[in-house]
Amino acid sequence: MFLRKRVWAALMLAALVAGPLATTPAGAAGTMTVSSPQDPGSWDPIDTFLVNWASVATNIYDGLTYRGPDAKLVPGLATSWEELDGGLRIRFHLREGVVFHNGEPCNAEAVQFTFNRLLGEEGNKGPQRSNYTAIKAVDIIDAKTVDFQLNKPDPVLLTKLAGYGAMIVPPKYIQEKGDAHFNANPVGTGPFKFVSYEPKVGIKLEAFPEHWGGAPKLDKLEYRFISEPSTAVAELQAGRVDLVIPPTIPIAMISTIKSDPRLDIVTTASPTVYALRFNTGNGITAKQEVRTAMILGVDRQAIIDSVLGGQAAPIASFQGKLSFGNDPQMQPLPYDPEKAKALLKEAGVAPGATVQIDIRGNDATFNEVVQAVASYLQAIGLNATIKPYETNVLLNDIIPAGKTGEMFQQSWGGWTLDFDNTAYLMYHTGEKWNPYDSDKELDAMLESQRSITDRAEREKILQSIARYAAERALEMPLYNLNAIFGVNKRVKNFTPVPDSRLRLTEVTVE
Amino acid sequence: MAGFLLRRLFQAIFVVLVVTLVVAFAIRLTGDPALMLTQGAGSVTEEDLARIREALGLNQPFFVQYGNFLLGILHLDFGRSFLGGTPVAMLIGKALPATLMLAFASMLVSIAISIPLGIKAAISRGKWPDQTIRILSLVGLSFPNFWLAIMLVLLFSIFLRWLPPSGMEGFTSFIMPATTIGVILTAYNVRLVRASMLETMQFQYIMVARAKGLSENVVLYKHALRNCAIPLITYFGLQFGGLLGGIVVIERVFNWPGLGTLALDAVAGRDYPVLQGVITVLSMLIVGVNLLVDIAYGLIDPRIRMEGRD
Repeated sequence: MFLRKRVWAALMLAALVAGPLATTPAGAAGTMTVSSPQDPGSWDPIDTFLVNWASVATNIYDGLTYRGPDAKLVPGLATSWEELDGGLRIRFHLREGVVFHNGEPCNAEAVQFTFNRLLGEEGNKGPQRSNYTAIKAVDIIDAKTVDFQLNKPDPVLLTKLAGYGAMIVPPKYIQEKGDAHFNANPVGTGPFKFVSYEPKVGIKLEAFPEHWGGAPKLDKLEYRFISEPSTAVAELQAGRVDLVIPPTIPIAMISTIKSDPRLDIVTTASPTVYALRFNTGNGITAKQEVRTAMILGVDRQAIIDSVLGGQAAPIASFQGKLSFGNDPQMQPLPYDPEKAKALLKEAGVAPGATVQIDIRGNDATFNEVVQAVASYLQAIGLNATIKPYETNVLLNDIIPAGKTGEMFQQSWGGWTLDFDNTAYLMYHTGEKWNPYDSDKELDAMLESQRSITDRAEREKILQSIARYAAERALEMPLYNLNAIFGVNKRVKNFTPVPDSRLRLTEVTVE
Repeated sequence: MAGFLLRRLFQAIFVVLVVTLVVAFAIRLTGDPALMLTQGAGSVTEEDLARIREALGLNQPFFVQYGNFLLGILHLDFGRSFLGGTPVAMLIGKALPATLMLAFASMLVSIAISIPLGIKAAISRGKWPDQTIRILSLVGLSFPNFWLAIMLVLLFSIFLRWLPPSGMEGFTSFIMPATTIGVILTAYNVRLVRASMLETMQFQYIMVARAKGLSENVVLYKHALRNCAIPLITYFGLQFGGLLGGIVVIERVFNWPGLGTLALDAVAGRDYPVLQGVITVLSMLIVGVNLLVDIAYGLIDPRIRMEGRD
């Protein structure tokens, strides 16, 4: 009887432990495994805005232009281009001998098909179209030349042609197989070709040796979709994932990864900037002196050093250093609690006045940041309360409807790295992200830069917009967060990209 | 029996209908999918949003949308995901087996541990094995399951590198998630088995069986266990149904490609068709399991079958 129970117990133990069952390591020779936090659901370039679409698809597709980790625009499928008709027409000369992964030639017809599709019926169903409405039509001049007719000049168009909706797609393949098939079986001209896709699980690619830029150094590239940060880090620690891409790794986990001799953390400045924007419509923050006082009262550098472990840079306006329109001469307001108190007194704000800060509840790191902000505000005599919302509720209901407290979180950053994408949406009267403010002078500046294609002149206007917004203290600029990658040291030649548009042609694995 | 089944079937359909209606209505209160899809867009006009809403069929009145959804279900067509257009039936077709298998494996772990331990506790009532088992059960009830999951991952995936920390790649992938859920379930089940056994052991037929000179094992496993099986099967059945929708956290931690993961992503992305599909299938399953439990009663205890006929 007793013996029998012992047998049972032993069996149970065996079932629990199950012995050293081999687990597959990430690296067969030449294969790299990447952990990405989200499955975009479709690989069609016109279907999505998710950055994690781009971290896979930048390897599958090419655009007419290309922008790599250095954020410089270089030729892609077009070898050169020229602006005609005062910026209302752009002529592109296409690269010769380029083929899609299915063998189809990539020529002027493919370019025309791509943009007809984006701006036509199929593109109508998706979110990408709105970024390319400056394009009126694409005319074929000959097999290797196309003209883009524009409705109005778009100074950011050449950048936009390097990513997302402007990726060149194969006409014959899509016409024969249909859009639904293309969603799950993408074909492009990029350095890696599609092998298989399992929704919610992962996507597998392999090298496309015929790529015009030369064969990639890896044989195979596999992505696994892992949304839980601790799970992605566990996979990295277990050696089954070689690279964990942003936005996954929270600041708190950096030390865990760094303490593992096989792993490393690689970072670069990202497009994402964080600010607490002010309700300029009502409450004490309607007064400019109060807003300035609040900025002066918060030691943003100390927050970066302590809460963010140094993985961010201070900002003077609502943009990072990579942004076109950023003025390196512009300095953030200093931390000066005495001046802050004096300004508050001058503005007639009684000590103990309350301020409500609305934030995204699921952002653990920002939660800590905002607690620090609240205690700094406490020190200058303001009583700050923090109100967390479900992210979508905050973004879709609270902010656009102007139902926020005195301050609200805004994390922003477009892949185009152009300040227009932030400034226009945040400051122009009537925009979704600008529920409170209306400033005719600002509106005029914002509108004027949209039709100028002269880069230097435009940059100047964008810089003066940034300065103007800072003078009016429209937001408390906090920091520009780094893009954080966790990487196994067997990965060589990996360059972190700021904008998740990851292209892994030069990478090798040991 | 047929009348009883028919009645239960109608009840089941009614429950599923109510659940789908509530879910379809409630998720539409939480945010606009067109806004979600264009969140990263540089400049989105009302026109753009209207265009996307129309493409997604969101411009129709609620009851038209809901009616189309119900009509679709009749053909096993749950529509297409707002995020990428993958057919929802295909997503569920992949996620459902993953969740079913994990739930089944977890129940297996739990039953395999809790029945022998529960019986042991019952027959040594008040002595040290009983005390130990009860304390262990209390410990099991007290700690959160995701904590156990993380500890298992630390030990078996990171330090020992024996088991994969996440994903569903084969037999080894089941061990940690099934153990995590199984151990927590065991903490409940062992108490239930113990109480049920204690009650059964008091009946006279046990005394008779012993008096006949049957071995203790035959008395326990054949006579006692069989007679206390009814409450246990009810409970295990309901527990299995509950598990299908209730292992979301564990699916998340182990990156399990199941219904929980699918539903969570759908909620976050305001992917109405996927969420409606998952909830419909889940409610059908839970209602179905309840129905099966009722039928199983009849098979085990002929008295219930007889009552059903009346």
